[in-house]
Amino acid sequence: MTGVADTIPLTEARSLVRRARSGDFDALGQIYRAYETGVYTLARRLTRTAEDAEDVLQETFLEVCRSLGNWRGDGSLWGWIRTIAASKALMRYRREKLRETDELDEASMGRAGDLPLQLDLEAALERLPERSRSVVWLHDVEGYTHEEIAEMMGMTTSFSKSQLARAHQKLRAWLAEGSGA
Amino acid sequence: MSERHGTTAELLAVRDGEGSAWAREHLARCEPCAGELYRLEQVRARLKALPSIRPPRDRWSLVAAHARSDRRGRRLHSAIGVAAAAALVGVTFLAVRPRPQPLPDAAALDRAMIQSRAMEATLRSISPERRPLNGGAASVAADLEQELSQVDSALNDPGAWRTEPDHVVDLWRQRTGILSALVDVHTANATYAAF
Repeated sequence: MTGVADTIPLTEARSLVRRARSGDFDALGQIYRAYETGVYTLARRLTRTAEDAEDVLQETFLEVCRSLGNWRGDGSLWGWIRTIAASKALMRYRREKLRETDELDEASMGRAGDLPLQLDLEAALERLPERSRSVVWLHDVEGYTHEEIAEMMGMTTSFSKSQLARAHQKLRAWLAEGSGA
Repeated sequence: MSERHGTTAELLAVRDGEGSAWAREHLARCEPCAGELYRLEQVRARLKALPSIRPPRDRWSLVAAHARSDRRGRRLHSAIGVAAAAALVGVTFLAVRPRPQPLPDAAALDRAMIQSRAMEATLRSISPERRPLNGGAASVAADLEQELSQVDSALNDPGAWRTEPDHVVDLWRQRTGILSALVDVHTANATYAAF
């Protein structure tokens, strides 16, 4: 199951963070172990390659180490770490000035013509352009609102909504194709 | 004249509890649109049920080494900051008239270079070439050495010194941090090997 449950109860999370802030690396290690898979899964869905996702995992936890004092302790620790991870992942293609125009979308679909017809959902998701995939994942799986996604991606709310709709149209077509419909 | 169907965006809005009154009423009487809404709900449920992905390599050693180095760097900068502040108070007290101050960048650069060289001497003193590393530590050390090489290349760019002096200071600080992490990796490995 993808939706990473908050594996550390809030009271324990507060105690771990307090210890980690005072320099206890065992506590920091426990936080890392609890959330590394969640962060990596999110990063893998939002970036192009496994290497990019590994970099996001590392950058996220370095930021967590530096900013533990900013977690107020009144909300989920996973929610706080997840937002850092999403920002790090989205920052990568902002930095790389990746442009996903319709033309590029079509080009990637052309390459995907070699894929087997039996596309499952995971393969179809992977086939989506990076930006659309990020919107689908952040909205449908992680539960971010269009307003939050727009802010994280530096886009408008209507852009987020239209990306979601277009992505679902593509998923529908590919999944229908895969099932032979 | 037949009524139009809802668009994907309109149906998604209904799915997310934000649909227009028209869309909600239309869904009550349009079987294809109701079917499409159900399909969109199913896709979301299936997406949420996709399995988690485990990282292919363990990055904890690297994260911990960087975190230790960061923490040490902050403590060092803080101590230097206190000393610098005390010195500044003394200078201000003694000064009888304003006089030209040395460029703060130059002072920061001096400090950063001294720290980096001190850390390099520490690393040399533990003779890392004579310390065999296990697989995980060797991988971390290789990553750190690669980072060190990149920083050194950047420092060897003469243009950077002219155009971005602040960045050069930052590079020297990064160099200190990386060297410090290398010291940690080699000494930690020796500790484990002793057990």
